[in-house]
Amino acid sequence: MSEPATSSQTVRRSRFRMQESGLVVVIVLLGLLLTVFGGTVKAPVFETDAQGNPQRVFRTNAAGEREPVLVEKNKFLNAQNLAQLAKDTSFIAIMAVGATFVIIAGGIDLSVGAIYALASVLGALVFRQFGPEGAHGGAPSWLGVGAGVCACVGAATLAGLFNGGMIVLLKVHPFIITLGTMAIYRGVAFVITKGQSVGGFPEAFRSSIRWEVGNGLSLVPLAVMVLVALAGGFYLSRLVAGRRVYAVGGNELASQYSGIRVERVKLSVFIYSGLTAGIAALLSLGYYGAATSGDGQGYELNVIAAAVVGGASLSGGKGTALGALLGALVIQMISSGIVILGIDQNYSQIIIGGVVILAVVLDQLNNRLAARRAARA
Amino acid sequence: MMKSTLLRSLAGIGLLVVSHGPLAGEQLARTYTIGLIAKSQGNPVFQAARVGALEAAKALGAKHAVTIKIDWRTPNEEDAQKQAEAIEQLVLAGADGIAVSCSDANKLTDAINSAVRRGVPVATFDSDAPASKRFVTFGIDDRKCGDQTMDELARLMHGKGVVAILAGNPNAPNLQKRVQGAREAARRYSGITVRETYYHKETPQDAAAKVEQVMHANPDIAGWCFIGGWPLFTDNALRWTPGSIKCVSVDALPAQLPYLRSGHVQLLLGQQSYDWGYRSVEHLINRLHLKKDPAAVHDVSALMPVTLGNVDEHAKRWEKWLPR
Repeated sequence: MSEPATSSQTVRRSRFRMQESGLVVVIVLLGLLLTVFGGTVKAPVFETDAQGNPQRVFRTNAAGEREPVLVEKNKFLNAQNLAQLAKDTSFIAIMAVGATFVIIAGGIDLSVGAIYALASVLGALVFRQFGPEGAHGGAPSWLGVGAGVCACVGAATLAGLFNGGMIVLLKVHPFIITLGTMAIYRGVAFVITKGQSVGGFPEAFRSSIRWEVGNGLSLVPLAVMVLVALAGGFYLSRLVAGRRVYAVGGNELASQYSGIRVERVKLSVFIYSGLTAGIAALLSLGYYGAATSGDGQGYELNVIAAAVVGGASLSGGKGTALGALLGALVIQMISSGIVILGIDQNYSQIIIGGVVILAVVLDQLNNRLAARRAARA
Repeated sequence: MMKSTLLRSLAGIGLLVVSHGPLAGEQLARTYTIGLIAKSQGNPVFQAARVGALEAAKALGAKHAVTIKIDWRTPNEEDAQKQAEAIEQLVLAGADGIAVSCSDANKLTDAINSAVRRGVPVATFDSDAPASKRFVTFGIDDRKCGDQTMDELARLMHGKGVVAILAGNPNAPNLQKRVQGAREAARRYSGITVRETYYHKETPQDAAAKVEQVMHANPDIAGWCFIGGWPLFTDNALRWTPGSIKCVSVDALPAQLPYLRSGHVQLLLGQQSYDWGYRSVEHLINRLHLKKDPAAVHDVSALMPVTLGNVDEHAKRWEKWLPR
């Protein structure tokens, strides 16, 4: 599938590497800022009991009172906080990888939040059937988990296929189609659940997503996020199909004349966007244990913001999967940093909004400068 | 590209630093940090809860010679996942106690239990998570609230006519219970017909638009049972001639009071939204500082009836409750 790297591809890949290393610098700087100014926190010490459950450690103080043993930690730079940061980032980052595919191809997907909700409730309804109080509660756990995963991820992928199909067949701008399907998918989720929260999933599913190592470190969302970003990155940078996504986003007409089946590329990016929304929904189901039709409200904007901060250009042809992940991480670090630094929450939206606008403005400025340099050369 | 990303980074960090208030980590002796997580920023009842919590922090701090800091971490729009994340973040940031109004009890139960396991007591207000390990819940009995609202409306309508129920977020468990209570009460009156329960996005504009749309489509509706006061948070939401349609609404916020005075609404049933914050902080400080548990897990608050007769007195309460 992969083509020999041309000189232009080599240049482009090297630019990607530079761009991503720039984001890594941001993350390191933010981390340093939060480590230095975040202060410390006294956290309780836990030990594992005979049943393998974490228990708080107590001691008797000088006054003869039983008190918990506490250990002082840096608020930001401690394993629990970093795992929490990764977990909170993962849902948006995974969706942002899919959204980046769409944005690179010159499209937009406003329905990712609604797909997330629809996949969540459909998955939840199936999981509940195999849960402790479900009709198939006695079925083997692999069956329940498998059925729920298929329902959740399958529904999201189909929703993406539907989006892409409508855009290609009706030749309507993705903004309009996904604006419509955003309402449709959320409406379907509401009708199916009648507005009720759906919970009661098989323990095997929940414990696999909430699997912890050490002192309560939940690493599954982090692992899935990294895998999705790596897979997305490999697809975009190493496979012919991925290069076609850039070609279509860069110049659709030229791509068409050069023999690329533009419709097929467009269809595929919306399928990937749906698929990643389904994966994020699946993680959320396992981690939080319930779903409602109101889930993921407004997530489409967070996802697009993560992709844009990660370097994706809304005019198409530019962006990377790893950039999307790092963009989501930057936004989440700012959001978590606001809590760690004790800044009034009223300012959080202003700060995040400001960062997104600055990212886009600086990106446009950079493009203009690059065009000027190219013209001079 | 590297340059632009670096510029982007510096801008982000700059914003963070510029907006940085007093640095965290300034540890004072006997300081309690209480995380307060309401359902959404835009709803005035939660702003009243925030004021209540701040007032409680001031009053109880002076009473017990401690510093109480309220850390407000409420999503902009209702989002149970964000609330769960806020609980986890507050625990890691060293909050001593947390008070939360749950948008989805199922989704918040694990986060609450995890906080409790890590030694952070959790109180719920307004909307409970009954299966969780929260040590107290403060608020009205939602089913009874719906029942009382419809019952008062039916009485005003002399037990006959077509009525409509206005609800908000269809996923909110407390609102579902209120709707259930309202429908049960309506069944006690053979002459009362409930046309439908109407949902909306819980913004005043959406709610007002919903009422108007419904009235256009159903001119025979003679009574409205608002199980939350959303449309009355904006001006001129009710286009009917005062008194021609009977209306009873939950909540009695300042923005709603002109509707009582104008005769568009006959009765408001005020929730003690200021006390959601005040009582939650009080319960948490009792637990943290005085090592005292509440008498019962359910601390039920009553609804305050507000009519044309006591509207001015109620307005004066709000002068104290609203942020200045």
